[in-house]
Amino acid sequence: MAAARADTLQSVELADGVEIQLRVAGPAVRSMAYTLDLLLRLGIYAAVGIAAVFLIMPNLGMQMTTGLMLLFMFGMEWFFNVFFEAGPRGATPGQRAMGLRVMSLTGGPVTLAQAVMRNFLRVVDFMPGLYLTGFVCMLFTKRFQRLGDLVANTVMTYADLPPAITPQVEVRAERRAPSQMLTREEQSALLQFMERAPLWADERRIELSSLAEPLTQASGVEGLRRLCGMALWLQEPEEKRGTPPPLKGAAPLPS
Amino acid sequence: MTPAQFEKQIEPRWQKLEQLLTDVEFGKPREDVVELPATFRQVCHDLSVAQHRMSPQRLTQRLNALALRAYRVLERRSSGGWESLLRLLLVEFPQAVRAEWKLFWWCTALFYIPAVLIAVITPAHPEWAMALLGPEGMAGIESMYGEDSTPADYVRDNFGSGFAAFCFYIWNNVGIDFKIFAGGILGGVGSLFVLLFNGIYLGAVFGYVHYSGNPLTLYTWVVAHGAPELTGIVISAMAGLRVGLCVLNPGRLERRAALVLAGRKALPLLIGAAVMTSLAAVLEGFWSPLNLPPVMKFTAGGLCWLLVAAFLIFSGRRQADAT
Repeated sequence: MAAARADTLQSVELADGVEIQLRVAGPAVRSMAYTLDLLLRLGIYAAVGIAAVFLIMPNLGMQMTTGLMLLFMFGMEWFFNVFFEAGPRGATPGQRAMGLRVMSLTGGPVTLAQAVMRNFLRVVDFMPGLYLTGFVCMLFTKRFQRLGDLVANTVMTYADLPPAITPQVEVRAERRAPSQMLTREEQSALLQFMERAPLWADERRIELSSLAEPLTQASGVEGLRRLCGMALWLQEPEEKRGTPPPLKGAAPLPS
Repeated sequence: MTPAQFEKQIEPRWQKLEQLLTDVEFGKPREDVVELPATFRQVCHDLSVAQHRMSPQRLTQRLNALALRAYRVLERRSSGGWESLLRLLLVEFPQAVRAEWKLFWWCTALFYIPAVLIAVITPAHPEWAMALLGPEGMAGIESMYGEDSTPADYVRDNFGSGFAAFCFYIWNNVGIDFKIFAGGILGGVGSLFVLLFNGIYLGAVFGYVHYSGNPLTLYTWVVAHGAPELTGIVISAMAGLRVGLCVLNPGRLERRAALVLAGRKALPLLIGAAVMTSLAAVLEGFWSPLNLPPVMKFTAGGLCWLLVAAFLIFSGRRQADAT
């Protein structure tokens, strides 16, 4: 679809053969999620450190406490993200707060092996500092994957696509056939224009419809009217006809 | 069929799927849950038709989100738990090492040859090893392997107890394993660098002890835990190079696909190496500081090396190949 080129929707084919669209998350929102996680980790370190000083140190001594803290740090540094990403929600607390979720490129949830792989490679993505390698790598892949994502075959996506706002407004225009053959992309653009037009101001609608002047052969309000008429025609070429239009080539649905 | 009719026709199906999913996600599946896969496929079909007919986004997006949700539920797999972990360690790990035996010997050579070279020349030309170790390193070595000091004193002074030492070794050594692996994705350069550096540093320590300390103390200290620890380093470098070599030479696969496959091959190696290094940390924390006669130490150490070799050569041979 033409719309896929202007936004961050990426098609993925599921094992069942259907194409699904994922909205992949870019570097900005991911770095915010990372910052939240970082703050959370620092908070946990502070809390555990204070607890250790007051509870463990008097009993086991200074060196034992340091040892236990090192063990705890080892677990936190290497396995904090693995634990949450391989869990049922597929996201660390920071990622959840930003509405993100790690997914396998097959469309399924992330496996433990994938979570380990993508998080152990963070060391390299971080180099030479502040995730520069990972950032550059994201800019060069169309699904915003850093090195760890590439090896683990994962993507960071928005967990829920925001629902499309579509006001139910009846478009009053006279149904008319387009003056020339339209490609699928063009048909889709027209249909989406009609779907979204009620959300815009009059000036915007007219401005956009005037882009299609070669097709409508009219400008201003008249052009808008003709464009909507063509979109209506695309939806239903003729009134009271049972079969879908041959131009769009859809097979009748088995009922 | 008009778009409105189509929408009306498919509505009961996706509503049913939504209901089933809500039940499952709350952990209370009812009897009709068996219909979930069939309903999912039906909704997938509806989604394809809706996409093809350029149905309004309101509809395609809802179906899209539902299909994604259902796929997540259907594809959720329970991990094999302890059994699969045990299989990974005892079967897949040694199998993976044997499958990459050439790489194993390359990494071994790259690690030990520089180490032996620098250890051999140090007693005659100590300035290289001194430059590598630095004053602090030399002081540390003196305190551990000097004429009248024992590693047990060093552990007691620095860590207080075997357990604290064990914690430090886990944090430090297993962390090094993971970093060696991660460096591999840079065309193998990172792994090679860390591997070579660790080999040279190790050689410098040995050479310097021969030059100014008591070599017997050093050998009785390292002989047991050295087996799993050094092998762990070599194997984690293997895992890194496995990925790095696929970046350089993906063969007949697309580079992206080759990377994913290499990652899957490297994972058992990495986990195995990490477990070996953790075992080494146990030995290093509790066994190596013991003051036992050298004969016992060397017997136990030799046994460790034999065990590691036998494990890598024989474990999991009778099991069917994992791949």
